[in-house]
This record gives sequence, C-alpha cells and structure tokens, in this order.
Amino acid sequence: MTTADNRPRPSRSGIEHTDEPEAVRFEHVNKSYGGTEVLNDFNIDIEAGSMVSFLGPSGCGKTTTLRILAGFEPVNGGDVLVGGESVLKLPPNSRDMGMVFQSYSLFPNLGVSDNIEYGLRIRKVDAGARRRRTEELLEICGLTGMGARFPHQLSGGQQQRVALARALATQPKVLLLDEPLSALDASVRSSLRDEIRRVQQALGTTTVFITHDQGEALAIADRVAVMNDGRIEQYSAPHEVYSSPATAFVARFVGSINEFAVGQDWTIRDRLPIEPAPDHTVFVRPENLSITSAADGFLEVKHSTYTGERTMVHLGLPGDHKARWAASLASVDADDLRPGMRIDASVTAEPALRLDRNDAEGVPA
Amino acid sequence: MAEHLNSSPRMKRFLAWLPLAALAIFILTPLLSSLIYSFFRADGSFTTSGLTGLADSGKIVAPLMRSLVVSVLAAVILVVTLVPAVVAVHLWAPRLRSVLSILCTLPLVVPAIAIVAGLSAVLRSLAAQGRGSLGMQLNTMLQSQDLPLVLVGTYVILCLPFTFRSIDAGLSTLPLRTLFESSSILGAGLGTTLRRVIIPNIRGPVMFSVFFTFALSIAEYTVAATLSINTLPVFLNTLSSTNFRGSITLSVLLNLTTWLLLAAATVSASRFGHRPSAVSEHDEPEADEPAVSQAAGAFRKDDETP
Repeated sequence: MTTADNRPRPSRSGIEHTDEPEAVRFEHVNKSYGGTEVLNDFNIDIEAGSMVSFLGPSGCGKTTTLRILAGFEPVNGGDVLVGGESVLKLPPNSRDMGMVFQSYSLFPNLGVSDNIEYGLRIRKVDAGARRRRTEELLEICGLTGMGARFPHQLSGGQQQRVALARALATQPKVLLLDEPLSALDASVRSSLRDEIRRVQQALGTTTVFITHDQGEALAIADRVAVMNDGRIEQYSAPHEVYSSPATAFVARFVGSINEFAVGQDWTIRDRLPIEPAPDHTVFVRPENLSITSAADGFLEVKHSTYTGERTMVHLGLPGDHKARWAASLASVDADDLRPGMRIDASVTAEPALRLDRNDAEGVPA
Repeated sequence: MAEHLNSSPRMKRFLAWLPLAALAIFILTPLLSSLIYSFFRADGSFTTSGLTGLADSGKIVAPLMRSLVVSVLAAVILVVTLVPAVVAVHLWAPRLRSVLSILCTLPLVVPAIAIVAGLSAVLRSLAAQGRGSLGMQLNTMLQSQDLPLVLVGTYVILCLPFTFRSIDAGLSTLPLRTLFESSSILGAGLGTTLRRVIIPNIRGPVMFSVFFTFALSIAEYTVAATLSINTLPVFLNTLSSTNFRGSITLSVLLNLTTWLLLAAATVSASRFGHRPSAVSEHDEPEADEPAVSQAAGAFRKDDETP
C-alpha cells in the first residue's frame, strides 16, 4: 500500500490512503449476557487491510463480536486491540471506526450529502474539504448526482451505498459491516456485495463483515471465520473453508455436504459406503460425487433441483422415502435423469473431511 | 325511486356533518356573543372602548409580560427535560417506559386546586423555617412576581400528560437504537446526536409540545390565582369588576390566541409527524434514472440486540 519511500500510494480510484490500515486483535475475550455465555476465550487476529467475514448461524456470537469491537457492548474479560492498542476504554465515538448497519441507519432528516458529511462535520473539517470528500465518495459508491436526495427517495441498495460512503468518509481505521446486505433483494445483493469489495480494496481499509450468508462470505472475504456457539470453528481463506473444512460444523454449514459412515480402511477407490460402519465419517462435497445411470445401480434418484447451470440430484436407497445424499452435476449432464432411475455413484476426489465417528456428532445442517 | 337513490349519499354526508355542526354551534355561540359584546353596544353601535380601556390603563403590561415569560420558560424547560428523558428511557431503560407513562399521566388525574393545595403546603413549610433561612429565601424566590418559578414548574408538570404521549409516540416511530449508534460511531456525543438527529426527526411532537405548553400556561388561572400571582388570566378576572367590556374583549383575545396555538400544535404534529419512509426494494442500475419513491409503510422499530 505504500511506495518504496513509504509515501502513501494513490489507489486506482485516486484516493490516497493517508492513514495506514490497522490490524485488529481479540485476546481471550469473554462475554456473557445475564447468565448466558456468548463468547468464551475468543481470540482472533485480523490482518491490516484485509476483509474478514464472520460467518455463522443466528446466535453464534458474530454480531456480539462486532458490537464489542464498535464499543456498543462491554466485555467481561480479555482485550480488544486496534493497531496494537487497546480500545476497550474508548467509547464508540472515539474509536475512529466506520459502521454500516443492516438497515435504516441513514438520518432521515438529512440529504445524502449531509449524511455522508456527518462524521466530517463532527470532526470540524472545513466546508470545502467536506464537499470534496463527499463528491469523491459519491463517485466511488456509484451515487453521482444523488447528493441532494433524501433517504426515503432511495431504494434499499442505494441507501446502503450511502451508508457505506458515510462510514468511509472519515477514513476510519476499521470498517464494520453488520449484515449490510440481509435486508436487500437477491438481485441487488450480489452487485452491492461486489461493490463493497471493490471499494474496500481500493481504499485498503481493514474490514470486518458479519453475515449468515455463506455465499457472501466466500465471494468477497480474504479470510472467513466460521463461528458456532461463541467459538471460531475455522479461520482461513474461503476456498480452504469450503474444500478443507476443519470441523463437522464447518463442513455442514458451508455449502452442501454428503456424509458417509465408513470403515477405517475405506478409500475413494472403494465402493461408495451406503451401509453404516462404525469407524469414521467422511464428508464429500456434492460436486465430488459422480453418478452414472445403471439398471442395477445401488442408489435411486429421488428428485432433482434445477438451479440454472447446475442441477442437484438427490439420491437415496431404493425403496427408501428419504433422499440422503446429493450429487451436483452440470445441468446438461443431468438432463436424462428421472426420479426412480437406478444409478451407481462414486467419490471422485478426496473427502473434504474425515473424522472419527464420535467427533462428527451433531445434527446435519 | 330514482330520487330516493340519489339523495341517499347526500343524506349520509349531511348526517355525518351534523354532529360537527352541533359542536361548532355549541362552542362558537359564547365566543361570538363575547366578540359581539366586545365591539358592539346594546344599541348596536360599534365601539372600541373595550380595547382602548385595556391599552390606556397600562395595567395590562405587567401581567402580560409575566404570562409571556412564564409560558415561554415553561415550554422551553419542558422540551429540554422531557425529550432527553424519554429518549433515555427508550434507549437504555425500556422497562421504565410504563412507569414514566404513569408518572406523566398523574397530573391529569389530580385536579388543579389539589395541586395548588399541595404546593401551598410546601411553600408554607419553607416559609416556616423563619426569616432569613434558606427555606424562606427559596419560598420568596419561587413566588417572586417578576419571575414566578413556581408557576413555571407547575405548568411543566401540568403539560406532561399531553406532551409525553406525543413525544413518546414520535420516538416510537424511529429506529432509535440504530440512529443513535450510527451517530455515535461517526463521532457524535449524546448532545450532538439529540440535536442533529433525534429532535429533527420528532419535530412534529416537539412543536406540538411547545405550542401546547405555551397555550396552557398563558391561559392557566387556578394555580396563579390561588398563589396570588398576577398573570394575564388573573388580571382578566380583576378587570371584570372595573372594565367589564374590556375584560370580555381580553378574554376573547386570549381565547383566540389559545385556539390558534392549539391549532398550530395540531397541524405541526400531523404535518411534521408523518414521514414517508423507505424503501423500494428494486435497485436502480443507472444513476440518471429517476429514483421512484413509494411510501411503503412506517419505519420498522429496530430489534433489541441479543
């Protein structure tokens, strides 16, 4: 992010990073609400300038973590550091962070420009500089010409872009995104998601992004922290989280997964194990399950889910009601498959995860 | 047959307006009579002796100023104390909201004369502490004819039932927690957030509170009279024995002023209270396409965080 002599380098957007991005660290953080423990010995290191997504089901503690970082929740123990310095004693208005909320966070009485300028005004930046910065951000966030509009005149996607511009106006050390896309239409979500990533990369701001939507996390984060019950189950790059999940929870929560009970000597060259065996559980991604139609096949197609380019073919034992497994095929290859057809299946790549039977407890997601 | 069908909707409209007309007659008759009496003698000739009588004596100035000062102070103090209190309860102590509601409704239940009786007892106990004591000084200060703070305080309390409800309802339509946190994370303190974000969004309820408090304060009689503080309504009462036409003229003017204030309060509550809100779910891809704004329901109250 800097040139050889350590001057700030202008990014593609023309905006200079006048502040170096800061790293974030949680050290042994404990947090309880009343009698319920939400975070227990929570630790994470977020690299400066990176975008980290906290992904997990409702109640896993991801929102609590974000709110602790913002200063809206106190901790019961541990420390939170930004740029190497503890921020716990600072109130939210002194932490120099930007935040985008799920919805309805724009000030209804102020126009778009005034909303964006709000933080700059508080910091007593002069009118000319405020205006320039606002124009810059309107352009970066795709809002050119909308400065005079009011929040109620904007669509949901536009409102969130204004919220993003407003959060970035003061060049915060850390940008916090609390499920910013959850309240939006599916069609808006993916374009705005990519825009958020583009802006984040252009400005180089350390960003923490909360979501329960794995597609979002995998698409734009540098690293994903998958959380469950106040714990981080895995903290790695998106492709690792998907293809090499660390725990059964991660395997089940991220993407779809097939689970097979196998003997300890089983390998992918062996027949697909449909009879339960007591030793290990293997987790296989649907795209790593290959199926061929066979009159004496040991599995049966139960139904198919067409999603455009891919089709998910749900499989089960002949005579069984339930579809216990699924294979993901290119739709062109799934064209001929009909419910009731007998098929043979095999595993074509190493399982995403292999665990002892007792370690794989928990209800499949 | 056709005629009967045609007159039916008209008949319905007439019946709908009937109660309103009856009420209007009931209210306007005394007012009109007073107005006529103020400006017309028994023989039908026009006179301004009511008005000139008021102006000439000059005695109206002091009570008028006193009432104006008390009313303005009451309105300001009410807003400055009530708004932060209700905001605080909404944000940090939602369980206390019902307690606050009950407290603010109490003055409605207690008759003015009972409030005054209680006040008098307190003032007497302060005076009983003896000449030169703090209690006596406080007693004198509160009832000073120049700035009767006891009236200001009493009027603030008397207006609470109406103003609290208005402000409470106004705040309930805002995503208060989210607005507060957004403002906070941008660097604003509590005061700035109240001033720049919260109050501008409850302009209707705040203006209603100001007009209402002013109207009540300027026309209040019982407390002021019992405490022998010469406000405008008290002056009006004494005037009736010396210049009857003048007192009627003044009462008409006072009545009209209060009406106008209350009308302003009601209009501002409805005009500024209604807020068209977000959100058309469909995003606009081009920046130059006009954004469509469709009011789609009121603000959702934001959820409590777990």
